[in-house]
Amino acid sequence: MFNVSAKQLTGVGVFLFAIFVGVPLIIGATGRWDFYFTLTSVALLSIASAGVWLTFYIGRINIGQGAFALIGAYVSAILVVKAGWSFWISLPAAGFFAALVAILIGIPILRLRGVYFAMITLVLTQVVTLTALALPITNGAKGMSSIPLPSGVSLFGIPILPDFAGMENTKLAFYYTACILMIVTYAALYRLVNSRLGHLCRSMQQNEELASSIGVNIAYIRIVIFAISSFFGGIGGAMFGSIAQSVYPSSFQVVDSVNFMLNCFLGGLGYVFGPMLGTLVLYFGWDLLFEFGKYQMLIYSTVLILIIRFLPNGLLSLRIGKGGDK
Amino acid sequence: MSPLIQVKNVTKKYGGLTANNDISFDVAENEILSVIGPNGAGKSTLFKMISSFTPTTSGEVLYQGERISNLKPHIVARKGVVRTFQETTIFKSMTVRESVVVAQHLRAKASLAGYFWGSKTAKEDVTAFGEYADELLEFLGMSEISGEQATNLPQGSLRALGIAIGLATDPKVLLLDEPFAGMNHDETMRMVDLVRSVRDERGVTVMLVEHDMPAVMNISDRIVVLNFGEKIAQGTPSEIQNNEKVIEAYLGSADDEIGM
Amino acid sequence: MEQILANGVYLGSQYAMIALGLTLIFALMNVLNFAHGQMYVIGGFVTYTFYGQWGVPFVLALFMSCVTLAILGALIERFLFAPVIKGSSREESTMLLAAGIAFFLDAVILLVFGEKQRGVPKIVDGVFNYDFRLIMPYDRILICVLAILSIVAFIGLMQYTKTGRALRALAQDRTAAQLMGVNVDRYSMIGFALGAMLAGLVGGLLVTITGVNLGMGGPTSIKAFMMVMIGGAGVISGAIWGGIILGFMEAIGLALLYQYGDITYLLIFVSLMIFLAIRPQGLMGKPWG
Repeated sequence: MFNVSAKQLTGVGVFLFAIFVGVPLIIGATGRWDFYFTLTSVALLSIASAGVWLTFYIGRINIGQGAFALIGAYVSAILVVKAGWSFWISLPAAGFFAALVAILIGIPILRLRGVYFAMITLVLTQVVTLTALALPITNGAKGMSSIPLPSGVSLFGIPILPDFAGMENTKLAFYYTACILMIVTYAALYRLVNSRLGHLCRSMQQNEELASSIGVNIAYIRIVIFAISSFFGGIGGAMFGSIAQSVYPSSFQVVDSVNFMLNCFLGGLGYVFGPMLGTLVLYFGWDLLFEFGKYQMLIYSTVLILIIRFLPNGLLSLRIGKGGDK
Repeated sequence: MSPLIQVKNVTKKYGGLTANNDISFDVAENEILSVIGPNGAGKSTLFKMISSFTPTTSGEVLYQGERISNLKPHIVARKGVVRTFQETTIFKSMTVRESVVVAQHLRAKASLAGYFWGSKTAKEDVTAFGEYADELLEFLGMSEISGEQATNLPQGSLRALGIAIGLATDPKVLLLDEPFAGMNHDETMRMVDLVRSVRDERGVTVMLVEHDMPAVMNISDRIVVLNFGEKIAQGTPSEIQNNEKVIEAYLGSADDEIGM
Repeated sequence: MEQILANGVYLGSQYAMIALGLTLIFALMNVLNFAHGQMYVIGGFVTYTFYGQWGVPFVLALFMSCVTLAILGALIERFLFAPVIKGSSREESTMLLAAGIAFFLDAVILLVFGEKQRGVPKIVDGVFNYDFRLIMPYDRILICVLAILSIVAFIGLMQYTKTGRALRALAQDRTAAQLMGVNVDRYSMIGFALGAMLAGLVGGLLVTITGVNLGMGGPTSIKAFMMVMIGGAGVISGAIWGGIILGFMEAIGLALLYQYGDITYLLIFVSLMIFLAIRPQGLMGKPWG
């Protein structure tokens, strides 16, 4: 459980090399600089998707991650623009605020199961959008634009993080930042799932009654998991806002919440790295289909439907083979 | 010696329906006590109230003098009163061993954060859980199926798995909900021996709800009989067998249920 | 006050019909149909095309909306939902499928009908005016009456016909229905078609008042979810109550808070959350969990 096999280690090594060295090289060679933005988006969206996946791990279908991403984006933007905080402090603050909201909302709604929970979380995204429209601090429909780029951080005079505004290539810097955040997120998720909390989550996913009969405080763990999940959402959203340098009530909508869910389902719910793969395939696929103009959505949704029709247990189920993991 | 569990004037009403009416009895330490009664007598409801899976309408259940009714199920489990389930309620996609390891949740010494970071205590816990799981499965005669997925098990093994999960929590009192249901004679006899050894070798007090009369008569130290939500008798198996009210209750419901 | 009541009845009757279709599909197949709003929009566009563009009589255009959606629903059930339900190891896959279908229908609507807002000529002119306390255009009254008649017809169908009885048996217990000799596959398809048809019918009715555009699908689905949650998922009376309650809340909210814009919807959402915290199964749903 605490030991990583050589094969796994190699896999991780190859993966890290690919995203930190391989991708910049390829992009440099092909001149497709726009891929940086695409891949940065994939990294950030997969952080939020990781949260959705985690809620599924306790048996709840979460279609409300857009709400927490939006909350995170606004909290960070407000802290940076109105309170003059450094982005790097506003980032965890955004995560924690999203987690706090998740705890408050989670106490009543986590009692709901199945379709009910799915529906109420879907509604939640709409609530946050409307709240952003209604509150004065979020500037209503105008949203918040011209958010300054992350400033540099130095500790005892030693620069730790560079000033993004003074950089020639912010795309690359954001790409690296997003990738590091994504790796930290998935490393944490992997540890969590393979630790005792993960086992308790699995027991709850399979049978809440039995879990409580062996002494698992299911209400407490549900809240903890939902808070962690929303923390991921908040972080992803805040980083996104910083890259776009703007946040609007429409930055994360119901359709985004649905997409987060799709990322997880498509990657496969039985696999920690499923949401990462799902996000990559869906977002990148969507981006590649841009060339087809007005047929983009039609092709995208057709492929999506076909995948669900013929691979109902997710893309990673191909690797394991049918029925390998239920 | 004061009783381990005291059921005091427990009543449960669902709307206008009374499932249990003013039921009182005691369970002594190291006893095997069965609750029997015709279908719909309120046995399962009574169990749910003892394990706090459902609140009482009035009355209370004490464990070592402390109230355990109207709490949360996990708190009652933590105190040492653990139930198993009537239906095949299991962790479907876990193996037998995984289920038993997870069920040792309450024995953990390290915190959740300790597990996340992989602290020393956590590592010790993991080793200890594994060893205890193997020991327990051997005790229950389930070593051979420890790697099986729970969904693939036959019904008899599923019941045993339910008991294994319950035992893994290190309970003082185990509440077994129809442990013999759907079993043939041989399976039942094996299960009877198993339940008895749980009491004899592990020092666990056992309460069970059951239909199977011969098994109940065989296994129980004492029996409580419910009918239409009321307690109509209690005593040793031989007392119960000769109790007119009990015979009447069973004859009045369905002949095939007596089986004695 | 009279005006608010009238608006409430008007909105409520439309909403109830939307919720009925959604709840029917949910009750029969345990599928949360994300594409319900898109089906509603297609219904609107079909009526727009027949009545607004080709000048076919309104009733006939409405009928075409129903037929189109019924066929579409049947095809979707037969070729997508039924196989996925059979082949998937988890029931959530259907939710994913429904989302995919919602995207697909959006794409189809975009390609076939474009993204412009479309309206049709009024079906009847004139405004009912009672002393300026109650003002309601005649076409709204007509649509409201048609919606209520449709609901009554639907309930009648469910209560008194063989199909209705089979559908109700199926909704209650799939296995038991099968044992009783109900052709489960066939009635699943019929039920889905019926649910989709209801969505199309409302779309066709409402295109005469509000017009129709591509963006209406998603919000309509969300409203339908809310109504179903208020009333209790999978319960017919619940869907009707949910629709009426949401209709009235909207009518009252918009009348009292119109200067604050979207705050009405925010309040409705928040009160729904509080309500569900107290009563998770909705008004009419069976308690569970």
